[in-house]
Amino acid sequence: MTLLRGLRALLDGLYTAGGVLAALCMLGILVMIVLQMLARWTGEVFPGAPEYAGYCMAAASFLAFAHALTRGAHIRVGILVQALGPRALWLAEVWCFGVGAALAWYLTYYAARAASWSWRLNDISQGQDATPLWIPQLAMVAGAGLFALALTDNLAHLLVTGRHRIRAEAIQDRPDR
Amino acid sequence: GETWDMPMAYAASNFHSETGAAFAQCITTGTGGDLEVVTHPSGALFSGADIKRAVQTGQVPIGERLLSAHQNENPLFGFDSIPFLATSFEDSAALWQAARPTIDQVLADQNLVLLYAVPWPPQGLYFNKAVDSVADMAGVKFRSYNTTTARLAELTGMLPVQIEAAEISQAFATGVVESMMSSGATGYDRKVWESLSHFYTADASLPRNYVFANADAWDGLDDATRDVITACADLAEYAGTARAMEYTTFTVTGLTRNGMTVTAPGDALTAELAAIGETMTAEWLEAAGDDGRAIVDAFKARP
Amino acid sequence: MDEIQLIGLFLFVLFLLLGTGVWVGLALLGVAWVGMELFTSRPAGDAMITTIWTTTSSWTLTALPLFIWMGEILFRTRLSEDMFRGLSPWMARLPGGLLHTNIVGCTVFAAVSGSSAATLTMVGKMSIPELRRRNYPEHMVIGTLAGAATLGLMIPPSLTLIVYGVSINESITRLFMAGVLPGLVLALMFMAYVAVRARASRHFNPDQETGLSLREMLATSRALIPVMMLITVVIGSMYLGFATATEAAAFGVLGSLVLAATQRSLTWATVTASLMGATRTSAMIALILAGAAYLSLSMGFTGLPRALAEWIATIELTRFELLMVLLVFYIVIGCFLDGISSVVLTMAVVEPMIRAAGIDVIWFGVFVVVVVEMAQITPPIGFNLFVLQGMTGHHMGVIARAAFPMFLIMVVMVFVLIAVPELATWLPDTMREARAG
Ligand code: NA
Ligand code: NA
Repeated sequence: MTLLRGLRALLDGLYTAGGVLAALCMLGILVMIVLQMLARWTGEVFPGAPEYAGYCMAAASFLAFAHALTRGAHIRVGILVQALGPRALWLAEVWCFGVGAALAWYLTYYAARAASWSWRLNDISQGQDATPLWIPQLAMVAGAGLFALALTDNLAHLLVTGRHRIRAEAIQDRPDR
Repeated sequence: GETWDMPMAYAASNFHSETGAAFAQCITTGTGGDLEVVTHPSGALFSGADIKRAVQTGQVPIGERLLSAHQNENPLFGFDSIPFLATSFEDSAALWQAARPTIDQVLADQNLVLLYAVPWPPQGLYFNKAVDSVADMAGVKFRSYNTTTARLAELTGMLPVQIEAAEISQAFATGVVESMMSSGATGYDRKVWESLSHFYTADASLPRNYVFANADAWDGLDDATRDVITACADLAEYAGTARAMEYTTFTVTGLTRNGMTVTAPGDALTAELAAIGETMTAEWLEAAGDDGRAIVDAFKARP
Repeated sequence: MDEIQLIGLFLFVLFLLLGTGVWVGLALLGVAWVGMELFTSRPAGDAMITTIWTTTSSWTLTALPLFIWMGEILFRTRLSEDMFRGLSPWMARLPGGLLHTNIVGCTVFAAVSGSSAATLTMVGKMSIPELRRRNYPEHMVIGTLAGAATLGLMIPPSLTLIVYGVSINESITRLFMAGVLPGLVLALMFMAYVAVRARASRHFNPDQETGLSLREMLATSRALIPVMMLITVVIGSMYLGFATATEAAAFGVLGSLVLAATQRSLTWATVTASLMGATRTSAMIALILAGAAYLSLSMGFTGLPRALAEWIATIELTRFELLMVLLVFYIVIGCFLDGISSVVLTMAVVEPMIRAAGIDVIWFGVFVVVVVEMAQITPPIGFNLFVLQGMTGHHMGVIARAAFPMFLIMVVMVFVLIAVPELATWLPDTMREARAG
């Protein structure tokens, strides 16, 4: 039981950590763009700024996938499913998480393969940053893996307890009043 | 029969894409439809930056790429874009002849079979003002998109500004960039006269687009098909180069017609640029090692 | 005909995955994968990652999360409230009242951002809570937003027009000029619709704004100054050459942080909440974009859009018939593709057709933007619908129904463009003459 609770805390912590890292990458985009502008205005050079901003963009997206999932931010079309009874709804949810997890693991496998190809082929950024591409692609692998893990986690939860753990917050109204 | 999808980075109406389309048609006809090659211009399948890797790893069997974009990976790929080394179509052909065995080998090691290469029209310098010497370039915001252009900016005292392709028009219109090195063709296609006034036909270099096939896909073909492809490739290289020459005249005239001042750089500027070319050739030789030196030596020993 | 079977299969898998509630981005990945596996001999997984990596790591995409973040910051400051307080006395006199702020807001932010998703999130984040609080009918709030956000791609800067311009070698500056007037006309048509609906409907009973004298109105309008300054800074940074269109988004974020600071609403909590909120929203959009990029690759390999375009090219059509066929064509492929992919995958075949038919390519750029934008608000794949679903929590069906009148208005806009081509051509032609003279 303690083990399970520990695992639960670990997984939830991982998703949140991914989200926080992603947010830092988002901040990174802003910093890269501002530095590039500052460099241009002052006659300095910041080689590779657009590429770095691009890597931050990819990392911000992938690392946040799992976090966005657990907070119900990823969109689904729920019209048909809503009409189902509890048993059928459960089956539909199992199908969704099953398909989702399968696709996300597929994505993870090929992301890892792409990063290893980048390493083996010595694939280097064509911009002025000349970064070996496997380095920024690691964020893609980690993010995709975390996403697959989160989907699998929810699938397991659904199978065992009958409910998934996604809690969507309706974000329409102002949080502070 | 089999179908080969061929991603190409530039617009369908670009002469490289037209050459590629004719090459594809030639193979399809030549093999009696056993091998159909379908071109996908405008980066419709894979963007330019992805094409080499996509072909290497077998995601597509054939593709076209400006190899000098990959010089971070191997300096040898930059042999055709060293400024002021080969400055005419004749020189470009001689340089290509000198380099081809080496490039063939480098690509073969990367699981690629080189088919043909067609040069872009000669690269010149675009400005929004008259420029008579390197001193006039000081502080001008110059579009740099790779190490070579960044280094050129440094050596001429210009300020390298990195602007992505999608933003070029707006960047010129609002003065974020004031100058670039590019062919008359690119300037004509992008309609740079809307923001720039001078084009100096410095003929800095004639970088090439290369068409290559995945070696496994190539090995899977029978000899007859390969012979057809090789013949079509030779034809495409010849026809594409002729198109490039024709397009050079057409676009340079077009720039003039649209109100730009198009001239060769003055004597002082030419001499200064040649000196910068020497420096950059020396730097490239240092990076590219013995193979690079062999290419340049063979080129300089041309009759 | 192979194409029919192909369309049928794509539709079946798409509806199966979307209909059973698989997340949109993953559903697109699934459809694309089926297409790759069944209809091509290419390695589906490797090609998938190549295109997904390039899409998600692209510099031009970075403006999107920044604009979303800007919206999140403004949403948490007093700014949106102020903006509504300042606008309400003016808008209150128009039939339809504050609903017009959706349209005016989108028109203004369209001049700042190059995409409709960014325009939609920015304006929607601010306006939805304010309009709801004033009891405006929900379907009108959502519908006007969905429609007006498409102006993000009509009014410059515009990503779709850039991609169109590059793929047919036409001047992007002229295309941008061409989008201005049609964008404004479309905005006016949306506003006219709102006014008529408001007058005609008995269920349109929002809270009445209190009547004010002109003097009081001007006094209240002072609340608009901060937001006007912010917009001026962002647009100014672009047109004065301080920033590129992408970089302008950074100005927007910094500007809204400064504004929040001056209003004393810049706390650690609001900054982190806005950043995390923006991270989630942009991750959601990135997943859909990744799926869409893969679907676009898969469709490219199967050759479907091209085959359809080639088929159209073989039938003898008059100019008007050709435009009508293309209208239907882009609406149909818009069921699967986002606007930019639609343009990239078809232009190689469509460009010669329109040039042969003697259609002005600059004008056609605007036509294409209106047409592919219509696809953004139609199911099953409509980006504005997805973004709105994320923002409001409503079902896709509800949102699609609310947006349907806007779709019809855009159809009317297409005919307006055909009847009065000068809307698109006058400004670029005049600019060219002015330059030449
Ligand atoms: Na816009
Ligand atoms: Na659609």
